[in-house]
Amino acid sequence: MTNKAAPWALAAPLGLAYAAFFVAPLLMLLAVSFHTDERMTAFGLDQWRRFLFDSFHWKVVADTLLLGLKTVAATLLLAVPLALAWRAASPFWQRALLFVVIMPLLTSVVVRTFAWIVILGREGLVNQLVLGLGLAADPLRLLQTELGLVISLTQIEMPLLLLPLLSVMARIDPNLVDASASLGASPWRTLFRVLLPLAASGLAAGCLLVFASSTTAFISQSVIGGGRLVYLPAMVWQQAMVVANWPFAATAAVALLLSVSAVIAVIAHAGRLAAGHAGATAHG
Amino acid sequence: MPHPIPRRALLGTAAALGLSAPALGQRRSAAASVTSAVYPGAWEEAFREHVAPPLKRAHNVDLELQPLFAVDQVAKFAASRGAPPFDCFVLDPGPRITAIERGMFERFDAAKLGNRAQLPPGTADEWGVGCAAQVVGIAYNPKKVPKPGGYADLLRDPWVSRLGITGFGTTFGTISLIELAKAFGGSETNIEPALAELKKALPRIAAVGAPAAMPGLFQQGQCDVMYTNTQTVTTLRDRGVDIEFAVPSTGASTFFTTLHIAKGSENPEAAYRYVETVVSRPVQQALMGAPFNFVPVNREVPLDPGLPMRSLDDMARFNTHDWSKINPLRGGWIERFNREMAR
Repeated sequence: MTNKAAPWALAAPLGLAYAAFFVAPLLMLLAVSFHTDERMTAFGLDQWRRFLFDSFHWKVVADTLLLGLKTVAATLLLAVPLALAWRAASPFWQRALLFVVIMPLLTSVVVRTFAWIVILGREGLVNQLVLGLGLAADPLRLLQTELGLVISLTQIEMPLLLLPLLSVMARIDPNLVDASASLGASPWRTLFRVLLPLAASGLAAGCLLVFASSTTAFISQSVIGGGRLVYLPAMVWQQAMVVANWPFAATAAVALLLSVSAVIAVIAHAGRLAAGHAGATAHG
Repeated sequence: MPHPIPRRALLGTAAALGLSAPALGQRRSAAASVTSAVYPGAWEEAFREHVAPPLKRAHNVDLELQPLFAVDQVAKFAASRGAPPFDCFVLDPGPRITAIERGMFERFDAAKLGNRAQLPPGTADEWGVGCAAQVVGIAYNPKKVPKPGGYADLLRDPWVSRLGITGFGTTFGTISLIELAKAFGGSETNIEPALAELKKALPRIAAVGAPAAMPGLFQQGQCDVMYTNTQTVTTLRDRGVDIEFAVPSTGASTFFTTLHIAKGSENPEAAYRYVETVVSRPVQQALMGAPFNFVPVNREVPLDPGLPMRSLDDMARFNTHDWSKINPLRGGWIERFNREMAR
């Protein structure tokens, strides 16, 4: 065996496993979506026609992607300051912060989701506080709203952004920040021109994970979002598990996959551009 | 030095062993074993705990459970083409009709059950037998709202602003919305009046939830009145929630979750012993207890005082629904509900 072939041979078992357990089912899913009837006896484009020529389905796709983008924005807004605080902290506090960041991952997503019902509910913690302080006369409606869903998804998905961000932040040479300051840059300028561009790859990876995870967060979307907020994962579940219309469920699933992948490609491309730009600036 | 056993032969043997390994995991076709599909979660836990041991003790039959949702049972059977993946189905009325239409059941002979006489008439038919009943009506928090009289009340003050609803995704949700439609002039096949009234009341309704989220929403005070089954009411009451079951003026509704023997089952005798065990008095008694709170199908089980009937025979008065008419319409109803309720 030549040396060039060796790495391929080593990767072959994983490659074959992917082909068998990921690519093949995906192709089957695609094939199912091209059946016309529920019992899958004939091929045709009926399901795709039904999905694409209905404005309600487009609204569901748009709502699903928007939910992901809002969650990414909210997560970024909280994660970046936290990452900066972590960078400035002593090793002890760094460890403590890291533990706090990872902690949500140690509980099941179902538990975290139901905990948010207790926090956001009509008689929940937030409303008790708001009513107790006299900030509102009636309980706020937080559960079953998009705002409540974004708040809870932000907490649930936060580790996915913070972990790659922290690992990139840890590698940034502290001398670069000092150099920027000694050359007269304000802290804000240093943040936007030095730190964030250098952390771009971590930010992009984190955003990508948060986006993919929040757009497909079936449990949180159904339990916290409720029946009035319709997203693609719930639609796939309804069609597959309740209506037993697998071709239409497969169509919605492929639509979810394609639309989420498209946005992920854009985020990844932006991350590469920013990282390339940062590299050019640092080395140029 | 050449290996005493060629490497290729060794690899070949290892591969063959690997390929045959899954076969070892397949169910044995010995007469004294039965494989039954069961809903994942509470049902699986209940059957493992309360059905498997007495079945082994009384009939020396081993029970293997396959946790599968109703849709998965039908799909898995359809995919197996002639070699049933399990001996028994457990299904709700909707999927039961689908499976009957697709010829997935052996004919069921209730006379083969030793305890047939303990089951009320109507529990068993030519296709299977009920193993748990559900009684559907209205649940309310007596500390927050007065007792509602019927489904029409749900959309009136003071209930409407405390009402939690769920769509056609579950059997209890579907029949409740049918009953709501009937209260406004609709029927089993015409749910438009319910959707129209719900749409009008929508801005005031407290919660539109996923079925699985409803008990949590009620417990947290997000809603104080909802349509549901007695099982949910008992479970919440056991947790200390203020909740009562109200029988609507038009009557409570009921349906059975049923057991069926799969077409081509290799162990029909063991399957009958399994079914007999599930509907037997001690098992039904155990399943009625916390935390499962099933409504029993065996007359000899003294009913929980919280249930809205004194005997199982009283249930003959309850509303039932024809799922052969509902099934073809339900997919459309689910989509209509999504559209009408969407923000």
